[in-house]
Amino acid sequence: MVVFIRRYIIQFLVLLVSIIWLSVFQISDANLHIIACDVGQGDAILVIKGSTQILTDGGPSSKVLECLSSYLPFWDRKIELIVSTHPDADHSTGLVEVLKRYDVDTVLINKLDVGTQVAKALENEVGSSGARVVYPKRGMGIRLGLIYLDILHPPEGFESTKTNDYSIVYILKYGDFEAIMTGDIDQDVSEQLAVNNQIQGVEYIKVPHHGSRNGLTENLLKALEPKIAVISLGKNSYGHPHKEILDMLTNQRIKLLRTDLEGDIEVVTDGDKFWAVD
Amino acid sequence: MKKSKNWLVFISLVFVVIIRYFSSAPEYQEGDKIRITSRVYTDPVKYDTSQYLRLAGLKVYLPKFPEIYYGNKIVVEGTVREGRLDGAILVEVTESDNFFLGVRQRLISFYQETLPEPFAGLISGVTLGAKGALSNDFWQKVVNTGVAHVVVASGMNVTFVASFLIGVFAIFLSRKKAIPFVILGIILYLFISGFDAPLVRAAIMATIAFSAQETGRLVTAARALVISALVMLIINPNWVTDIGFMLSFVATGSLLLFERKIRKKLEKVPEFLKEGLSTSLAAQIGVTPILFVTFGQFNILSPVINALVLWTVPYIMFLGAIGGLVGLVVPLIGKVILYLSYPFVWWFSSVVTLFNF
Repeated sequence: MVVFIRRYIIQFLVLLVSIIWLSVFQISDANLHIIACDVGQGDAILVIKGSTQILTDGGPSSKVLECLSSYLPFWDRKIELIVSTHPDADHSTGLVEVLKRYDVDTVLINKLDVGTQVAKALENEVGSSGARVVYPKRGMGIRLGLIYLDILHPPEGFESTKTNDYSIVYILKYGDFEAIMTGDIDQDVSEQLAVNNQIQGVEYIKVPHHGSRNGLTENLLKALEPKIAVISLGKNSYGHPHKEILDMLTNQRIKLLRTDLEGDIEVVTDGDKFWAVD
Repeated sequence: MKKSKNWLVFISLVFVVIIRYFSSAPEYQEGDKIRITSRVYTDPVKYDTSQYLRLAGLKVYLPKFPEIYYGNKIVVEGTVREGRLDGAILVEVTESDNFFLGVRQRLISFYQETLPEPFAGLISGVTLGAKGALSNDFWQKVVNTGVAHVVVASGMNVTFVASFLIGVFAIFLSRKKAIPFVILGIILYLFISGFDAPLVRAAIMATIAFSAQETGRLVTAARALVISALVMLIINPNWVTDIGFMLSFVATGSLLLFERKIRKKLEKVPEFLKEGLSTSLAAQIGVTPILFVTFGQFNILSPVINALVLWTVPYIMFLGAIGGLVGLVVPLIGKVILYLSYPFVWWFSSVVTLFNF
């Protein structure tokens, strides 16, 4: 009997030690990580700083869950902020599953009634998740620890016939590092942003609308002067990324990274220097 | 005299199966616009933008939302075309108020809220046979490596439930008195995990074996296997084309025929890997040709991969079941128990990922 119990205790201790070792390797470092998840044709961008996470869009499927699993420690089931830039399926489908499984603090989402099945499913899930819902407007600021978000678009009372135009655009600041998230904004909105805001000198841009010619403009790029451009896309029938956009980036000597070619794209910053992880 | 009576029973069962099969054939024709009202008996397969299920012998593809689960009652409309329901529209979906289905759904949600993918899916698959809870990517990996049988509803689940319950009841009951409770437990497990063909097969076989023990009659496993096949086809003739049904019977048959012989030859294999290797080698003999014909898939390393992961399955199932059930009452303790399964699911998914080249 004693031998028996001793054997069980030893097995249990081995189990505990292996859990501890597996956990140690998952604790995140002190830097800020921006991961453009490879979710196919769509957007899902995860920002991690310590135990704080911001997820901007969830891609066209539940593939975003794999991305969350590989970058979050297994016990961290809390996402501090979800930004749902606009209700199109290639940006919001994955969020439904994320809201079901993770404990979400705040959801930043436009108040829109588009009537699609995905939008309805997302609305239901946001409602039943108990997350705080915040409607964005230009000039709003959000602080999460050392991370600041400045919302640039849409302005209050914004009206448009296209869902893409409503895309939430924000600048993320961490120390001296700045990144801009642009959803699926089209050229008109890009032009407005280029002239209306006193934005200058970001390090990182999430290229709008999966590199469609109906998105980024020369003027916006000149105003922003990014060093790294990330295009989130997969196999598609639209011809994304369009050659005009690729040329625009090459001409300005901006380092381009694409999820369809490289999978998940992780950029790390300590608030001063920044680098892409291979 | 006794022998001829047995044969009579056998032949009449076969007759009933044949009559049932032809009398239950659906009455629609090609091009008919039909409306199907049905309960969903197994989880639909989830794809990126759609979900797939079989209703009244037809393949039905529906949009991803609203999601359908095992136990829902649904009304679907569409046109019959080459064995599928074309332009299928979901007219109505009613959630089941069945207690057991509620338990199942809440268990899966609890796993998903506690652990990330693919671990939550793996626990749901191993514990409840809920294949639908696995991500497409991970499902593809377990298929490629030939360990899919572990994460779908299989006879192994029922065997574990049965042996666990016997162990528990044996503490305060005699074996004979424990048997009715064990059978009841197996039936409860079936209600919670769904009536997939392999589970029903194992449950019927276990019931036959246990009742035989109780009445003191000798029943060979082979005969129990044949009888359960016939009984199942009488209950649901559609199972005759169900791949899970075929695989389950062929695998069990091969186990009965070859497992003992193979195990004898594996003297040098370490004890904790031996059973996994001998059972998967034995089952492979019968199952491989079917898998190859239906899925075009065959992995020569499959028995090795099986041996490397199968030893974790009892732990995953035990911790998953206990952690889940406790978690429904006291979430915090349930979570701690599920965390204990983390090294096992981590090992399982790492092996599967490693061999998935």
